[in-house]
Amino acid sequence: MALVPFKYTLRSLFVRRSATLLTVFGTGATVAVLAGVLSLNKGFEALFEAHGREDLVVFLRPGAQSEGESAFSDDRADILLKSLAEVATNASGAPLASAESFLAVRLRKTDGGETNVPIRGVQPATFAIRAGEIRIVEGRNFQPGSDEVIVGRPVSERIRDASVGDVLTLNTTPFRVVGIFEHDGPLDSEVWGDVERMRVALKRPVYNRVLAQLRPDAEVAALAARLEDDRQVPAKVQTEREYLRNQTGMLSGALQFLGFFLAVIMGTAAVFTGTNTMLSALASRVHEIGILLSTGFRPMAISLAFLLESLLLGLLGGVVGCLLALPLNGVETGTTNWQTFTEVAFAFRVTPDVLVRAVGFALILGLLGGTWPAVRAARLDPTDALRRR
Amino acid sequence: MSEQALIRVRDVTKTYRRGGEELRVLEELSLEMQEGSFYALMGPSGSGKTTLLNLVGGLDRADSGEVWVGDDELNGMAGAELARWRADHVGFVFQGFNLIPVLTARENVELPLKLAPIGAKRRREQAEYALELVGLADRAKHRPSQLSGGQEQRVAIARALATDPLLLLADEPTGDLDRASADQILDLLQRLNGELSKTILMVTHDPAAAERAQTIVHLDKGRLGRLEHPAAAPTATTGS
Amino acid sequence: MSLKLVWRFLLSHPVRSILTCGSIVVAVFLLCVLRTTVVALGSSIEAAAANRLVVQSSVSLFVPLPLSYQPKIEQVDGIEHVIKWTWFGGYYKDPQNFFAQFAVDAAATMEVYPEMEITEGSYDAFLASRQGALIGRDLAEKYEWSVGDRVPIIGTIYPRADGGAWEFDVEAIYDSRNPAFGEQTLLFHHTYFEEVLKAEQGPEALAAGVYIMRIEPGTEPTTVMAAVDALFESGPQRVQTTTEAEFNRQFVTMFGGIPTFLSWIGGSVLFAILLAAINTMLMAGRERTRILGVMKAMGFGSGSVFALFVVEAVVLCGAGGLIGVAFAKLVETPIAVALSTMMPGFVLTTETILAGLAVAVGVGLVAALVPAIAASRLRPVEALRAEV
Ligand SMILES: Nc1ncnc2c1ncn2[C@@H]1O[C@H](COP(=O)(O)OP(=O)(O)OP(=O)(O)O)[C@@H](O)[C@H]1O
Ligand SMILES: [Mg+2]
Repeated sequence: MALVPFKYTLRSLFVRRSATLLTVFGTGATVAVLAGVLSLNKGFEALFEAHGREDLVVFLRPGAQSEGESAFSDDRADILLKSLAEVATNASGAPLASAESFLAVRLRKTDGGETNVPIRGVQPATFAIRAGEIRIVEGRNFQPGSDEVIVGRPVSERIRDASVGDVLTLNTTPFRVVGIFEHDGPLDSEVWGDVERMRVALKRPVYNRVLAQLRPDAEVAALAARLEDDRQVPAKVQTEREYLRNQTGMLSGALQFLGFFLAVIMGTAAVFTGTNTMLSALASRVHEIGILLSTGFRPMAISLAFLLESLLLGLLGGVVGCLLALPLNGVETGTTNWQTFTEVAFAFRVTPDVLVRAVGFALILGLLGGTWPAVRAARLDPTDALRRR
Repeated sequence: MSEQALIRVRDVTKTYRRGGEELRVLEELSLEMQEGSFYALMGPSGSGKTTLLNLVGGLDRADSGEVWVGDDELNGMAGAELARWRADHVGFVFQGFNLIPVLTARENVELPLKLAPIGAKRRREQAEYALELVGLADRAKHRPSQLSGGQEQRVAIARALATDPLLLLADEPTGDLDRASADQILDLLQRLNGELSKTILMVTHDPAAAERAQTIVHLDKGRLGRLEHPAAAPTATTGS
Repeated sequence: MSLKLVWRFLLSHPVRSILTCGSIVVAVFLLCVLRTTVVALGSSIEAAAANRLVVQSSVSLFVPLPLSYQPKIEQVDGIEHVIKWTWFGGYYKDPQNFFAQFAVDAAATMEVYPEMEITEGSYDAFLASRQGALIGRDLAEKYEWSVGDRVPIIGTIYPRADGGAWEFDVEAIYDSRNPAFGEQTLLFHHTYFEEVLKAEQGPEALAAGVYIMRIEPGTEPTTVMAAVDALFESGPQRVQTTTEAEFNRQFVTMFGGIPTFLSWIGGSVLFAILLAAINTMLMAGRERTRILGVMKAMGFGSGSVFALFVVEAVVLCGAGGLIGVAFAKLVETPIAVALSTMMPGFVLTTETILAGLAVAVGVGLVAALVPAIAASRLRPVEALRAEV
């Protein structure tokens, strides 16, 4: 089947350039919104899921959804810390396990207002477990047993009195900020100090969770099953990745729903606009189509040419949408981990995956927008088409 | 015939500029036309016929000179004033009919009446009367696409007549029509001139059409040529 | 200008008109929903009662306050009632079934929250029942609970020693007259809460989440706030007393960049439909050059042809706006119910409706501008000469 020359398609887009531009930018705006939501979700996922480790396990009290709700008394925490065969050990045989306290503390932001910042008390083993993950980028680490803290880089920027040398008062105890750390995951949004000092300062009689690194051959499922209704220390056991995924489930779900909802609704409008544009292209080319048909082009070829033109419009819209969304990449934003009511800072991530999906979406819009005009084009009667105009 | 001509074109010059080139379409042209007469305007393509027609109808303005219609001088009028004048004084008929496709015949005829200070009922009556004049009362509810070319042109004439204008200007009204339809249109114009004493100026390339006029004005390269008075021109054909 | 002509123009391209109108419908619908969401996010601040104050730990939302604080607070001048109000944080059967539960001092709760209206069961029955619960209408409908039902709630913060559920008896159902105080809340007796905790975890586990107080009419809130804060200046737990609006604000600000993000999306939607409408009006303008030339030759002035486009666009977009708003109204209740645990106050306000319509009409006006100006400037001679 002879195809209508591609040149015709390009020329048609160019001749009616105001309609082309309006359609492309309309579609572009739609695609940009979708890309924005997707990259927001990507940034959020990247922060949580991607940095959850499979070889770490988190012990919570049964029934607790997050560490904020969880609690272990000293003796129970001690059992978890010292008596589990699955837990890896360091060179000197000490288990790589750490009891941590966690509290969302109300602190003042540099730009006014208050926010909840997670304050984590850790034991020295935490740093052994997270060797390489936590990077001190300014100052030094806190001295175990002292009233010193280190803060995540975003926290030091957003929270008042959180730069190296400042004094951060928790309840009534002053803590000196001695270092800034970085973590690619959510720990970046926290303040860390010695767990025992934290428990005293914040008047917390319990530990909130136990974190442990497993031996490579350890079975998480078996451990979880065993501890689920252990008589001595019942505990809920999850890998860190699992734990973080559960933390983000709600917001991630909400974002995905938002993206889907917007894509469908705005997509509908974009398809309508595309159809309008293609119908007007059809109307202005009836005579030309009559000539093509009379010279022997098949209606199918005409149809395809229209579909191609519409796809091209979609593609251009997709490219524009991606260009509009690209500046979002890296833009920092904040929201709340609704499980712990704490602030998390993260950045939009316009990844190749997001761009591919955005362009794919744009092509679908183009395809849908071109379908009806293409059907109409195929149905044109050649003699009638020639007579018109 | 009145002592003063209805239309008095005085020393009118019209120049078009396209790029750097100047095209002098009408040059110091003067012309008078009497009220109640039927004029045909002939001349080669590009000689300025349409341009002259547009000047007389107040659609366009000359570079210099005066265009009088009755007591009004058109060349000095502002755009809005000119539009109002057109609404009251002229009816146009075009080669391509130019009916509004989304309106029925009657609605097309009614359209110019929207500019007159009359109510909906009067408007309707007047439109129906105009359609009757052109013999299409029974097609009032048809869309232009449902009419033949000749019928379309008769609706267009009815539309031009609806406001009962002083002057009927027709630019090649039969250009797109076959002989029979063209003759029907020419009969109609003649009748309007004869029975209703409409002053008519008709541009045409068709000598047979021009024969129907009382006076044939020849235009060549923007200058007035000879005037003809076709002997056979009957002032009015048959009464109905 | 002839409305009939406008109407006929619109009908002459039914597909185009419907699709354009459809775009506007969809966009106005979306804008209304987005705006309502943004408004709802802030509604708990807007709708907060001026005479309710909240005492919370100044350290953290999650640090409870000693029970011994209550009698001390009651001593402060200008306070009518002080009630304990403790976030329970449980769920029904599955963690997905999440809604707010509070342990409260039931006796004065109705005084402090007069927006509650008991529509089923009775308040006295609730007061008289040890394990009684007062639940919101939406909650009752969502889980098909009615008065007399026993409801098991798993405590995540306060698990039972036996690993089982807390059990409450529904004694009354309330409707809320305040959209920001949702109907998806379960209230039960603080006395029962304390009784269980004391038995299972010992007396040191007893505490109250926050204290909510109602102040006497004519009392200056700031004075009361300062007086209460001063009581516990030197510990053991310092407190922060705020108006209800301020208390709610801390939750609202947790939405962080979300309202801004939603506004950006709204802006993009607006941009997209504006382009769609302009596209349509330009098409209309392009195909009408000749008609406009004829009308001008007839004597229609620039104003008339300008109005022709404006009226057409406004009719088209305005209709879309009306339908869009109607759709938004239609989904208002389902969305409100779906969101009420996370975000009560999803109410389509008159303001939002008017804004939706204004946007539609505004889009119409702007879209009409280019072809309308072109039409009013059009010189009839050229329009008639144009080969269209
Ligand atoms: N807007 C314009 N700009 C430039 N040149 C113009 C314009 N309008 C008309 N002309 C030129 O002026 C000349 C006279 O045009 P006009 O339409 O009056 O001729 P005409 O006698 O009516 O011709 P025809 O018989 O072909 O209709 C032509 O050469 C035409 O090209
Ligand atoms: Mg001509």
